[in-house]
Amino acid sequence: MTMRALLGGRTTRDLLVVVVLVFGVGSLAMLLAHVSPLDGFGALFDGAFGTREEVAETLVQTTNLLFPALGIAIAFRAGLFNIGAEGQLVLGGFAAGWLGAQIPLPAVLAVPMVLIAGTLAGGAWGAIPGFLRARFGANEVIATLMLNVIAVLLATYLVNGPLALPGSGASETPTLPHAAQLGDLVANSRLTWAFPIALVLAFALRWVLQRTVFGYELRAAGDAPEAAKRAGIDLGRTALVAMTLSGAMAGLGGATIVAGELHRFNTGLSPGYGFIAIAVALVGNLDPLWIVVAAFAFGVLQSGGIAMQAEAGVPRDVVSLVTGLVIIALAGRRVVATRRTT
Amino acid sequence: MQAVDGVDLELFPGEIHALVGENGAGKSTLAAIAYGAVRPDEGTVTAAGVVGLVHQHFKLIERLRVWENVLLNREPRRGLTIDAAAARERVRALGEAYGLRVDPDAIVETLPVGIKQRVELLRELDREPAVLLLDEPTASLAPGEIASFFATVADLAARGTAILVVTHKLAEVVAYSARVTVMRAGAVVARHRTSDTSAEEIAREMVGGEVPALAARAERPVETLLEARGFCAVSGSSALIDAAFTVGAGEIVGVAGVEGNGQSALADALAGVVPFTGTLNLAGTPLRADEGPAGRLQRGVRVIPQDRRHEALVLDWNVRDNAVLGRQRVIPFARYDEAARELIARFDVRPPNPDAIAGMLSGGNQQKIVVGRALAGAPALVVAYQPTRGIDIGAAILVQSRLIEARNAGAGVLLISFELDEIFACADRILVLAQGRIAGTFTRATIDRGRIGSLMAGHP
Repeated sequence: MTMRALLGGRTTRDLLVVVVLVFGVGSLAMLLAHVSPLDGFGALFDGAFGTREEVAETLVQTTNLLFPALGIAIAFRAGLFNIGAEGQLVLGGFAAGWLGAQIPLPAVLAVPMVLIAGTLAGGAWGAIPGFLRARFGANEVIATLMLNVIAVLLATYLVNGPLALPGSGASETPTLPHAAQLGDLVANSRLTWAFPIALVLAFALRWVLQRTVFGYELRAAGDAPEAAKRAGIDLGRTALVAMTLSGAMAGLGGATIVAGELHRFNTGLSPGYGFIAIAVALVGNLDPLWIVVAAFAFGVLQSGGIAMQAEAGVPRDVVSLVTGLVIIALAGRRVVATRRTT
Repeated sequence: MQAVDGVDLELFPGEIHALVGENGAGKSTLAAIAYGAVRPDEGTVTAAGVVGLVHQHFKLIERLRVWENVLLNREPRRGLTIDAAAARERVRALGEAYGLRVDPDAIVETLPVGIKQRVELLRELDREPAVLLLDEPTASLAPGEIASFFATVADLAARGTAILVVTHKLAEVVAYSARVTVMRAGAVVARHRTSDTSAEEIAREMVGGEVPALAARAERPVETLLEARGFCAVSGSSALIDAAFTVGAGEIVGVAGVEGNGQSALADALAGVVPFTGTLNLAGTPLRADEGPAGRLQRGVRVIPQDRRHEALVLDWNVRDNAVLGRQRVIPFARYDEAARELIARFDVRPPNPDAIAGMLSGGNQQKIVVGRALAGAPALVVAYQPTRGIDIGAAILVQSRLIEARNAGAGVLLISFELDEIFACADRILVLAQGRIAGTFTRATIDRGRIGSLMAGHP
């Protein structure tokens, strides 16, 4: 069985599981918090779609999940469990924020520089486990998991230590010059050009996976490594390239958060986008276009969750609970399926 | 899916009954039902006593002694402990009685395959079965061992046991059985007294028509293509030691041998999957030990691996993408569909649909894809490792014919097979592989079945 067959699977049963988990467990949690599920979900959807600005914020959350989810999908399709998107995203954001504040450039150059810096930093952070896997056969799950912690601590150290702002107690880089900030798409919102960039990236990734020799070889390595090896595909090189690209996408996501939403790097820039994105990638069946749909659904939960807490008094943690259960349900199937086949 | 449908089968004491049919005809399912391992949806099974089953793949505990295996769960006891002395004696006496002599204290993993089979048989015999089912019992035996195995079975039958041999080797059916039942697509299509029929008739009944003829071998000059000297390699538990041989362009060299005698090391080293030592020259230029499968493919070396499901195909993918695997950089992406359609037509892949999922195809059609892509684009050297394993006769003949045609067109073919008949049918020259070494070389003119058989069994 291939990883895709184990983790993905275009079954309606999966969608059903997700829907039941979201609404069933969500309702149960709300009942435990003495809130009517009708009110709770009402507040959630109202918070996600109620106003123009709220719709924009939903799309912002969609974007923030989409970049790391696409990166995760590329690694998973190559047969690699990259669960290090969070660290790759944080370091991408840091590189973007720091470099953007250091070098004053006109907008045509500053924005690309900031985004490329984030992409390269995330890519480098993804390349490390890719290299360890290619060279020493090191398990990428453990490597990426540990590099998450290292990335967050490294960025925290840098902004508080050597790169600390004089006279400021905040764990952040200086504000980006206006030229290095991504332009708004909707007034009074944080929605920027990052959203269309993410959409284009999804289509591009889909094209690369399905329509190029590179994508063919990457999928072969993931779906049948032994057959791929015998077909002349270098599994080590594929692992390195896939992990680098995977990290690069998460890093680009971090850079767009910095350049478009926060206008500076802050150690709290991600409420766990890199982890939620694993669920997004899996619900999207590792298919870039379905991942767009999944990212939107999780974006609704993210942005509506805040309103739900404020208006209906339901703890926002219900959203985390539901997200976690979706991951367990979909990834847990892998364990069950593996047991059955062995 | 229905594997067996409305089948009647009667076994008589004292008789060896052969059950034949192609892969997927339902023979193994029928045997499993008779044994009680599979419950039939309809119908009944009655036996005048215990039913024993000897599996094709031995079910022995390798680390334990012979007597421990034979008497597993039926050990003679003395109080709370096992009476080892009595157990040993019981196994010795059992072996004596049936002419299956084995040292009861030997550790199973140290025994050769033929002896392991005796242990497997003894374990069933200790239960004094009235009916004994043997599933492909000779799959891993050398020719000499096969004769002595059937002598034992005939002796068992003579003592009143009803015996069912499930097999696909028609020569054995004709030589050793009293009755034969032929199955096709889950149903019985013919029953014979073996003396009233022939291997040819049984083959026609299995296939459901005429068995197609093998492609003719063209007379052609042979020039040395591959030259191996001091060739050593290891792949898993398989080892090839100090092999020296040549394969000519326009020649099929058969590698005969019992499974587990270095074949995997030979195939994997040529594929570039494992490193080798010694010298391998292809068309005068050395193959490098470290160039990997990509390098070998570039040199025109195509290997048809033994395990098509894991080593050759991406089962979740469609036929189109599988048809170009290994040539994915040679063929432009836009031409994948064209290449797949060509292969489907030339190898009669069914269904003839590039979008069909490879895992859903029958074994024979899967193998046609694997062989088809290996032979596409005029390869220099084709290494075919068990290319017809587990596929039906029609597909097997087609695969063998295409290999012969590739040879006629000037390719060198190394045919590694555990089926001697396949090698005799296809090979221009024969190497015998035993215990990792090349034990003998024969040409078509000097083929000596008996001598090859005894070399395969490890006798010098």
